[in-house]
Order: sequence, then structure tokens, then C-alpha cells
Amino acid sequence: MLNFLGTIAGNILGLAGILGFTLGLMTRNLFLAAGLGAVVGFVETMGFAGFDMAKVETLDLIIAIGVGLMAGALGCAVRVKGTTV
Amino acid sequence: MSDQDKRPGLLGRIWGWFWSPSGVLSVGFTLIVGFMAGILFWGGFHWSMEMTNTEEFCTGCHTMETNLGEYRETIHYNNHSGVRAICSDCHVPKEWNHKVKAKVMAVKDVYHELMGTIDTPEKYEDHRLKMASQTWKKMKASDSRECRNCHNFDYMDFTIQETRAAKEHQRAIDNNMTCIDCHQGIAHRLPEGYLDEYKRVVDELAMEKGPKSLKTADANPGAIKGYLNKTTSEKTGD
Ligand code: HEC
Ligand code: HEC
Ligand code: HEC
Ligand code: HEC
Repeated sequence: MLNFLGTIAGNILGLAGILGFTLGLMTRNLFLAAGLGAVVGFVETMGFAGFDMAKVETLDLIIAIGVGLMAGALGCAVRVKGTTV
Repeated sequence: MSDQDKRPGLLGRIWGWFWSPSGVLSVGFTLIVGFMAGILFWGGFHWSMEMTNTEEFCTGCHTMETNLGEYRETIHYNNHSGVRAICSDCHVPKEWNHKVKAKVMAVKDVYHELMGTIDTPEKYEDHRLKMASQTWKKMKASDSRECRNCHNFDYMDFTIQETRAAKEHQRAIDNNMTCIDCHQGIAHRLPEGYLDEYKRVVDELAMEKGPKSLKTADANPGAIKGYLNKTTSEKTGD
């Protein structure tokens, strides 16, 4: 459980959360935003494991993608709500 | 309900103000202020994170002092090259995402401190094997990532290492073993029955990971520890 929460927090404060959110800010398309976030989560987790699939925990990967997805969507929502362009 | 439609509550008004276009600030001003605030915030955040990595911080909880005392007897505290490994060098990862994770998980330390899980020497010893085993699990799973921040097989000159060390390290490379497989107790006293517990941890991880070659060592960590204590006491002269 702690491991789970820790991984989520690590991702929110890491690339998945922050870059995902920023990319989400750049588009009004919810699906594109969420997709970009998910890609960041995926690449981050793989990158830290040296692109060695055997070293990646499936759960870590799923959490990173999930957090990226949410961050992207949130960024997009802020764009829609907060801008006119 | 109709009342609210006419005049939103305080939170509602703040929410509305927050999202309304700014009439007085230029885009440039907003960007610059946001950028500076961002730097300040991030710097402060990072600084406070580093604060929680100091030896003073860790041993601020007196329950951690047992380990401090033991570690002070070892090579990582006092050695001829003057490079010291402190608590966080071995126990807190350097990579950002792993570090944040470790810090969040350490909230359980605070909980156990409040509950007094290890507040007497007796309780401490009773609990040591469990704590050591949690630590081994992390290290085995991360391939002793924290040790490798400073040590690396590739940088070791086996020709100037003791024969025994060089031989074991060659074996370690050949068999894909990791530092903690042999170097348990590198900084603290080992509890009784630690070898069995270590085997259990490795088996458990192997089950989770599926069929992967995870080997325990038959090297004797007790001997390694004895050797290290000997070298430190030679140097400190006691
Ligand atoms: C709030 C007081 C407190 C502080 C500060 C503290 N610890 Fe602990 N620590 C504890 C307690 C209590 C436990 C026992 C927890 C348990 O049973 O899981 C513990 C357990 C541990 C363990 C055992 C393995 C594990 O993960 O459970 C390690 C390693 C450890 N601490 C290292 C550190 C380091 C390194 C620092 C400084 C970055 C630190 N501690 C700071 C109170 C503290
Ligand atoms: C901050 C860097 C750092 C970290 C992290 C670190 N070490 Fe060390 N280690 C050193 C230094 C420095 C020495 C002493 C070298 C000397 O002067 O002989 C040393 C010495 C040793 C020695 C004994 C050398 C001797 O001559 O007796 C062993 C064994 C060892 N480390 C294993 C480990 C293991 C296992 C870990 C992970 C749990 C680890 N180290 C983590 C820096 C580090
Ligand atoms: C197969 C078991 C094994 C593994 C795995 C292993 N070591 Fe060792 N290591 C030894 C033995 C045995 C010695 C010699 C100590 C003795 O003579 O008691 C030693 C000695 C050392 C020394 C001191 C060398 C010297 O000549 O002063 C260092 C430093 C060290 N190990 C670091 C590491 C690090 C870092 C790792 C992981 C990357 C590692 N070891 C993995 C068994 C191992
Ligand atoms: C050279 C690396 C190293 C350093 C430095 C180090 N530790 Fe550890 N620590 C370990 C290892 C490895 C374990 C796993 C148990 C074992 O093998 O002894 C451990 C275990 C622990 C435990 C679990 C209980 C136990 O005794 O096994 C606690 C608590 C702990 N360390 C706290 C600290 C504190 C506090 C400091 C700083 C004063 C510190 N450690 C410095 C490597 C280190």
C-alpha cells in the first residue's frame, strides 16, 4: 500500500505529472492531452530503467501511465477553463 | 438555491475571479511573475528535501541512534580516503522519482516513532530483523542501486584488491549477483538468523519476478564484517 502511494506521489512530482500537465496545457483536445501525458509516463518509467523491459515493474508502469493520463487531462481542463484561445 | 444563483458564496467568487481574464496585468508580467515564483518554489522544495537527507535529521529521532553508533565503527564513517557515506547515501535513492517515493514511504517511520515501535533497546532488537529485511528487499530489488552510486564493478581494479575479494567479485559479475547478496551488515550489527531471513527475502522477490536468476551468496558476511571491523580498528587504533 505504501509502495503504491509512494509510486503515485513520485510520478505526480516527476516528469509524468509535471511535463504531462504542461503538455496538457498546450491543447484543447482532451484525448490528445491525456495521450501525451500517458506517453510521458511510459517514457519516464522506461527511461529510468535504462529501456530494459525486464527491469520495469508492470505496476509501476501502469501507475506512471495513469498519472500521466490524469495530469494531461487536468492540464487540458485548465486550458479550456482558463483561456479563450 | 435562488439566493445562491444571484450571489455566489465566498469560494464561488474566488473561483470566478481566479478564472476571469486579467484586465490589469499584461501577459508578459503574468509570465515573468509565474516563472520567478516557480523557481523560488522549486528551489525551496528541493532544499527542504535535501534537509531531510542529513545525518542530523535522521538521528533527530533517538530511535535511529542505535544505528548511528554502529555505523560510526565502520569504514563508511571513517576511512583513509576521507570520503564518507552518510545514512541517506545508502538509504535514500538519488533519482528523483525513486527519491520522492522513498520520502513518501518514510511517513511510516513517523507513525512508528509515535507508536513507540522501537523506543527501547529490547524492542529495537526484537524488531531489527524485520527492519533489516525490509531494507534488504529494497536493495535486492533495486540491484543495490544506492551502493552503485559510489561503487562500481567496472571501476574496481581487481589486481589490487585482496585475492578473496577479487575472486568473489568476479563470481558476482558472472552470476549476476548484487552487493547486498554478500555485504549484509556493512554498516550495522546483524541480528540473529539473518542469513535465513535474507534467503527468504530473495525467494519472495524471485516469486514475484518470475523465473529469473536470483542467487544468494554462500560467502560469509560475518567474515566480511569481521574483516571490516578489523581494518577500521587498525586505523582508529583501538
Ligand atoms: C520520525 C523519526 C525518524 C526519523 C526522522 C527517521 N527515522 Fe528511520 N525509522 C524510524 C522508526 C520508528 C522506524 C521503524 C519503522 C518500522 O518498523 O517500519 C524506522 C525505520 C528505519 C529503517 C528500517 C527499514 C525500513 O524501511 O523500515 C531505515 C533503513 C531507516 N529508518 C532509515 C532512516 C534514515 C536514512 C533516515 C533519515 C533520512 C531516518 N530513518 C529518519 C524513525 C525515524
Ligand atoms: C557515498 C558513497 C558510498 C556509498 C553510497 C557506499 N559506499 Fe562503500 N565505500 C565508500 C568509501 C569511500 C569506502 C572506503 C574506501 C577506502 O577508503 O578504503 C567504502 C568502502 C566499502 C567497503 C570496504 C572496503 C574495505 O577496504 O574494507 C565495502 C565492502 C563497501 N564499501 C560496500 C558498500 C555497500 C555494500 C554499499 C551499499 C549498501 C556501499 N558500500 C555504499 C563509499 C560508499
Ligand atoms: C559474491 C559475494 C560478493 C558480492 C556479490 C560483492 N562482494 Fe564485495 N567483497 C566480497 C568479499 C568476500 C570481499 C572481501 C572481504 C573479506 O576479505 O572478508 C569483498 C570486498 C569488497 C570491498 C573491499 C575490497 C578491498 O580490497 O578493499 C569492496 C569495496 C566491495 N567488496 C564492494 C562491493 C560492491 C560495491 C559490490 C556490488 C557492486 C560487491 N562488493 C559485491 C564479496 C562480494
Ligand atoms: C554503507 C551503507 C549504509 C550506511 C552509511 C547506513 N546504512 Fe543503515 N543499513 C544499511 C544496510 C545494508 C542495511 C540492511 C541491514 C544490514 O545488512 O545490516 C541497513 C539497515 C538499517 C536499519 C534497519 C535495522 C538494522 O539494523 O538492520 C536502520 C534503522 C538503518 N539502517 C538506519 C541507518 C541510519 C540512521 C544511518 C546513518 C547514521 C545508516 N543506516 C547508515 C546500509 C547503510
